This record gives sequence, C-alpha cells and structure tokens, in this order.
Amino acid sequence: MTMETGMQELLMEFLKTLPINIIIIILSAALGLLFAVLLTFVRLKRIPVISQLADLYVSFARSVPGLILLFIAYFGIPKVLPLIGLGTYDISPMHAAIISMGFYHSGYISEVFRPAYLAVEKSQHEAADSLGYTPMQKFFRIILPQMVPVALPGYGNALVYLIHDTSLIFAIGIVDIMGTAELSISRSYGTNQILIYFIIALMFSAMCFTTDGLVRKLEKRVAIR
Amino acid sequence: MFDLEASYEMFLGILGVLPETLLIAITILVLSTLLGVVLALIQQYKIPVLDQLTKLFKLFLRGTPMVVFLYLMYYALPAIGQFIVTLLGIDYNMNNMSPLVILIVTVSLTLSAFQSEIIRGSFLAVDPGQIEAAQSLGYSFSQTFTRIVAPQAFVHAIPDFANSFTVAIKATSLGFLITVIDIFAQAKIMAAQNFRFVEAFLMVALIYWGIGILITKFADRYENDVRIK
Repeated sequence: MTMETGMQELLMEFLKTLPINIIIIILSAALGLLFAVLLTFVRLKRIPVISQLADLYVSFARSVPGLILLFIAYFGIPKVLPLIGLGTYDISPMHAAIISMGFYHSGYISEVFRPAYLAVEKSQHEAADSLGYTPMQKFFRIILPQMVPVALPGYGNALVYLIHDTSLIFAIGIVDIMGTAELSISRSYGTNQILIYFIIALMFSAMCFTTDGLVRKLEKRVAIR
Repeated sequence: MFDLEASYEMFLGILGVLPETLLIAITILVLSTLLGVVLALIQQYKIPVLDQLTKLFKLFLRGTPMVVFLYLMYYALPAIGQFIVTLLGIDYNMNNMSPLVILIVTVSLTLSAFQSEIIRGSFLAVDPGQIEAAQSLGYSFSQTFTRIVAPQAFVHAIPDFANSFTVAIKATSLGFLITVIDIFAQAKIMAAQNFRFVEAFLMVALIYWGIGILITKFADRYENDVRIK
C-alpha cells in the first residue's frame, strides 16, 4: 500500500523534472547545431590559424568525457567571466550544462557535416558557378539539399549520443530525472533502486527512440528517389 | 588566478593513476570484443531464442545512457550475483562486489552491442567471392574463417575499434560516480585538497585529449601498414 503510493509519488516527481532534461537537450542541440555550422565552415575554408584551432577544438570535444566537460564548464566559467568583465557570480548549473553539452555536440556533428559537404561532387560546384550562381545561392539551392540526405543518419546518431550525455547533468547538481531518483533513494534508505533506475532507463530510451523515429521519417522524406 | 605550480603537481599526480585507467579500458575492450563476436555470430546464424534476446539486449542498450545502466547494475549485479551463488551453493557474499568489477562488466556489456555491429559490418565488407574461392579450393569452415575472412574483416574494422577504445576510456570516467579511482576521480580528490578545481579538471582533460590523439594516430598508422593498397 505504502509502496504503491510511494511509487506513484515518485513517478509524479519524474514527470515534473523530465521537462528539465528535455529543455537542456533541445537547447544543447540548437547551440551545437549553430556552432557546428560555423565550425564546419571554418574547417572547410582553410583560413590559416583559425582552421587549425577549429580542428583542435573538434578533437578536444570528441576525446574528453562529458563528465569532465560539465565540471570544467561549471567550475571554470565563473573564473573566466571576471576577465571579460562580466562579474564574479557563479554560473547556474543549467547554463553550464547547456554550454558544455552544446560544445561537445558541435564537435561531434562538425565531423558529420564535413564529409557530407565533401560528398557533393565537384561538378555540381562547377556547374553552378558556370551558370552564374552567387556563392550563397549555390550553397542553399544546390549544395545543401544534396548534403542533407548524407548527413541525416550521422546527425540522428549524434542526437542520440547527446541525449545519452545529458544523463550526466545530475552530477553538477541539476535535479533532473536522475537527480530526483538519487534524492528519492537516499530519502527512502534504498529500496526499489533497481526498479527506479529501470524506469529512468525506459524514459531515456523513450526520448532516444522518439528522436530516432523523427530523424528516420525525415530521412525518408529527403531520400533521393 | 591560474596556479601553474599546482597544475603541474596535479598533472603528475593524475598521471600516476593513468596506467590503471588504461588497464581498465583495455580489459573492457577485450571483453566487449569477445562478447561482440559471440553476439555477431548469433545474429549471423539466426540461432532461435538467442537471436531475439540479442536484439532485445541491443535495443535496450541503444536507448539507455551508460550512466543509467551503470547505476542500475550497481544495485542489480550484486543481487544477480548473490542469486547465482546461492543457486550453485557456494558460500560467498556477492553483496561486496567491487565497484571496479561492476564498472568493467557494465561498460563491456554496453560496448559489446556496438562491437557486434562493427564486427557484423566488417564481415559483410569481405568480398563473398573470397569465401567462394576458398571453398572451391577445399578450405574447411574454420580455415576460411581464420585465414581468409578474419584478416580482411579486421583491417576494415580498425578505425571503428579505435573509436571504441576512445569510448571505453571516456566511460572509465564514470567510475568516479561509483567510487572507482580513475584519472578523473584522482583529479577531484587532489583538487579537493587545494581547491584548485579548474586546474585539476583542465589537466585531466588534457590527458584525455592526448590519449585520444595518440589512439587516432596509432590506429591510422596501423591501418596504413596493414591495408593492402
């Protein structure tokens, strides 16, 4: 009797904190996408110093575990902010999470976008140039539509990995579903842990499969017939 | 503000734990590859019950983040171990299962799902004509496998295996959450003494970065040497 109501309360707590996970996933994905576009552009253009820096950035973002990126952002940014004169108050864990996850994600998808761009045949570029397209027109009307089918599977994969990595944000104090679970378990002196974490696993699986399903639908729509 | 001397001290201290971390990662890689081969063979030959179980297993691991699986196993493995041990009648208390064992088992299981995909893909990449030629020359199944298929599949799988090793090393950082001392845990411990958290985490990030670069370089070089042009 008490276990049932306890579980029901816990599930309500999960549903209340799930939006935190979802917001962080969406914001990190958006930030990562924007920054990855910039990154890939810089890496493809071969500007003397900046391109190498971009390559180093991508290598860093892919080698360092998410947990460390989270901690560096959470502890490090408050130290850097005074240098650019933005005050010495601490950064909120949510902001640190979004910045570090976006950083990691941008490095990952830059490595998806780069081969997608290179996969478009040179003849397409030449034909567009010879027809008098401006670089912007060429990119948005000719190159990008051909990049999308190539990049989508990798992008979908990267989104799933982003969702996986956001499961770590509880480690810097954010009370998301993992945080709620931990608090609840420590309050109840450890009963049902296996069931609770199994439920969390199912919740993350649901998020991953929804994302995967949406990307697959998109893949079908842009597939080259 | 940024303490260089403390950084250097901590860099050395963290490096001290690096060999253990690498050993953990190598163990994980070996175990996951072995299990991956088993899973790949099960799927290839469509063994009745095991095939469905394998698919279910992979589905579960695709959606579950490693840290969630780790916490799950942290509570589940001792219980499962205790069950098996009482079933076999051995007098051993599995509830004291070392977090290190739990970490290695969990990450190996997760990685084996990815490894089996890589292995399956690498077998498909071997030209079927090779297998036909070998069979027409009278090679037995195990001979075709060990002398013709496996070497070619291996070369194809090297870049992905290098990636898997990177994943294994990154996964060891999760050990910190269940009290396994890897390089990240060591960084946090040292930082707690002198409050130089940022320096500690930057040092450990540099170490991870260095490892990542080294692995990619070695894998590229090895692949170039082994691949027939």
